[in-house]
Amino acid sequence: MSRSPDAPKTSRERVAPQPLSFEDEFLSLLPQLRRYARSLTRSAPESEDLLQDCVEKALVNRAAWQGTNLKAWACRIMTNLHLNTRRFARRRPTVAIEEAEAATMATTDDPLARGRLLQAVESLAPEARTVLMLVVVEGYSYREVADILNIPEGTVMSRLSRARQSLRDKMRAENIIPLRRLR
Amino acid sequence: MNDENRPSEAELHAYVDGALNDEDHDRVEAWLAQNPDAAEEVAGWMADSEALRAAFAPYERTAPGDARLIFEARHPAPVSARRPFALAAAAVVIFALGAVGGYALPRIIAPAPNPVVAIDALPSESRNAFLVYASEKRHPVEVYADDETHLASWLGKRLALDNLKVPNLKPQGFKLVGGRLVPVAGEAGAMFMYENDTGERLTVLIGKSRENRETSFRFASLGGVETFYWLDQEIGCAVSGEISSDTLRQVAEAVYRQLPV
Repeated sequence: MSRSPDAPKTSRERVAPQPLSFEDEFLSLLPQLRRYARSLTRSAPESEDLLQDCVEKALVNRAAWQGTNLKAWACRIMTNLHLNTRRFARRRPTVAIEEAEAATMATTDDPLARGRLLQAVESLAPEARTVLMLVVVEGYSYREVADILNIPEGTVMSRLSRARQSLRDKMRAENIIPLRRLR
Repeated sequence: MNDENRPSEAELHAYVDGALNDEDHDRVEAWLAQNPDAAEEVAGWMADSEALRAAFAPYERTAPGDARLIFEARHPAPVSARRPFALAAAAVVIFALGAVGGYALPRIIAPAPNPVVAIDALPSESRNAFLVYASEKRHPVEVYADDETHLASWLGKRLALDNLKVPNLKPQGFKLVGGRLVPVAGEAGAMFMYENDTGERLTVLIGKSRENRETSFRFASLGGVETFYWLDQEIGCAVSGEISSDTLRQVAEAVYRQLPV
């Protein structure tokens, strides 16, 4: 928009290469944050709202960033925003997983199975769901998740366990994933 | 069950998540080979994990508005810029008015486009109403709580809301002070004021929304004043106060439950 990074190309003396600005770094994280937002919410529009709120909050509070892992910090902000609004959301009607969205998914999976999986995910407690997504989808270690959520590692484990168990129960009840054994 | 080599549940999860060192990994794997029931469970966890990664991976992508999202957030001024269509529509209206009125009227008095974005205007209007009226000692409201029935029917009529009731916030510790008619997004709106035992005040602002949609609850904090706001079909509502956001959230929730839709 108003500023382009390489606009003022004056031929003064050479400047040392600038480290990535906060904004640039944040911009490069948006795809991953978009994925995380979607993994917490019920629909793509809802996740875009969450992403936007997170960006605003992060930029307003950039002074509070300690210079540690930026993505982890952004995930923390997003998680808190999400858990706060979820407390309201329980009173709101549930939005059905959008058919159109499911149809445009570029996965080779059975779309039906995917729909059931997302439905099962919806039944998870929000707190357990955030832990599950941070570990499984975002690939954080248990220690990192504990830091992001500011909870003890033992709580991470118990939430992860609860999330997996409840997902398994749902999926088993739906009889979706064929049980297979490890070699 | 009576297996003393049985890995802890945490170890089983760590096995699934690839968080074990080689030695532990092999030990757990060897144990699972002997324990088909547990192995089946663990295989299920793995399958679910794979399915989750596959389901959400496509969302890791850029979107056309990404750069704007970042740089707009730094300069949160132009409300309409977040709605390119509204902005474009407004531009068309202004242009059309200018073209039509060009003969008779100086361009300069073409009416400003109506700020259609009620939801974006809500938090600042609510905050302003709170700042102006909650600090008022003598006349904070027009109609006091002792005339609540009249207050409700009068404001309900002005907002064209049948059965508008004044929200009861006693369970949250706030009793009604009263209410007044206020402009909200250029139309008649209602403001109710409440006070708790310690004299802390909060205001509830209700306006008509033309968007006729539902939004999630949103939160804005500006200069110590916290505001929760939302759209619910034909009404937009905002709750402002200089109280903890936790308390305010409970109030917002209570208001949401009680308002007619």
